[in-house]
Amino acid sequence: MMHKMSDPDQWIPLYGDILYRYSIGRVRYPDVAEDLVQETLLAALKARENYAGQASEQTWLIGILKHKIIDYFRKVSRDKTQELEDHLIADEDDYFNQQGGWKIDFSQWSQPDKSMEQEQFIKTLQACIDKLPPRMAQLFMLRELDDVKNEEICELMSISTQNNLWVMLSRMRVQLRHCLDINWISQ
Amino acid sequence: MLTCKEVSLLASKKLDEKLTLGERVGFLLHISMCGVCRRYSKEINKVHALMLNVGKNGKSFMSESVKLSKEARERIKVALDKVSH
Ligand SMILES: [Zn+2]
Repeated sequence: MMHKMSDPDQWIPLYGDILYRYSIGRVRYPDVAEDLVQETLLAALKARENYAGQASEQTWLIGILKHKIIDYFRKVSRDKTQELEDHLIADEDDYFNQQGGWKIDFSQWSQPDKSMEQEQFIKTLQACIDKLPPRMAQLFMLRELDDVKNEEICELMSISTQNNLWVMLSRMRVQLRHCLDINWISQ
Repeated sequence: MLTCKEVSLLASKKLDEKLTLGERVGFLLHISMCGVCRRYSKEINKVHALMLNVGKNGKSFMSESVKLSKEARERIKVALDKVSH
């Protein structure tokens, strides 16, 4: 099936929210997310002739946005190489005692199946992700949501060793799972 | 025996990478005796699977109530108009 392109005047009402949600979910900063939506639509406008109509317009626009997001990560890491790894050292351990045993426990959680519950769950998870330092949250979303491979994440985010990445991911997962326990499961 | 802290790292690494044989043995031995690590590992698997699934479906993982602000819409519209007209 071939898709026709809509009038660019309609892009903001048609796709503005969808692109913004995609963007903010990954970059976390509202102003950056808005800029990326703008850059995406501008790039789309310039590349209009290249749109072959094979993918839907929405898929095509998200494809452009994906590239813009990756470019953004690359640019930011060049400026802030040290910041992420500083968290490794700065983060004090709230979850383990000196012998390396847990200070917390986890309850069993059953997958929310009703769509309303799932929506609520996603909101809770988002709130927990928002408690992470933004750069950590970006990294986490790259890994979990977009399944970007470890080597690529290290390169994109300027992380010096894969071991450091594993330690960061592990800490985030403990923190998130604990946050879910407090905010969702005990509801 | 590995500590819970070390095992938590392996439980997480396991989601991203294949563990070495030594790591796997250490992990299995520990969780066979430690309920918290066993639960923890199971639980982060679930969150991981859920997020991956949302991502695969091309969803944004953001609630529908999250919207582009009115100000941003206007700003972007101005920028687009500049180029197209
Ligand atoms: Zn344990």
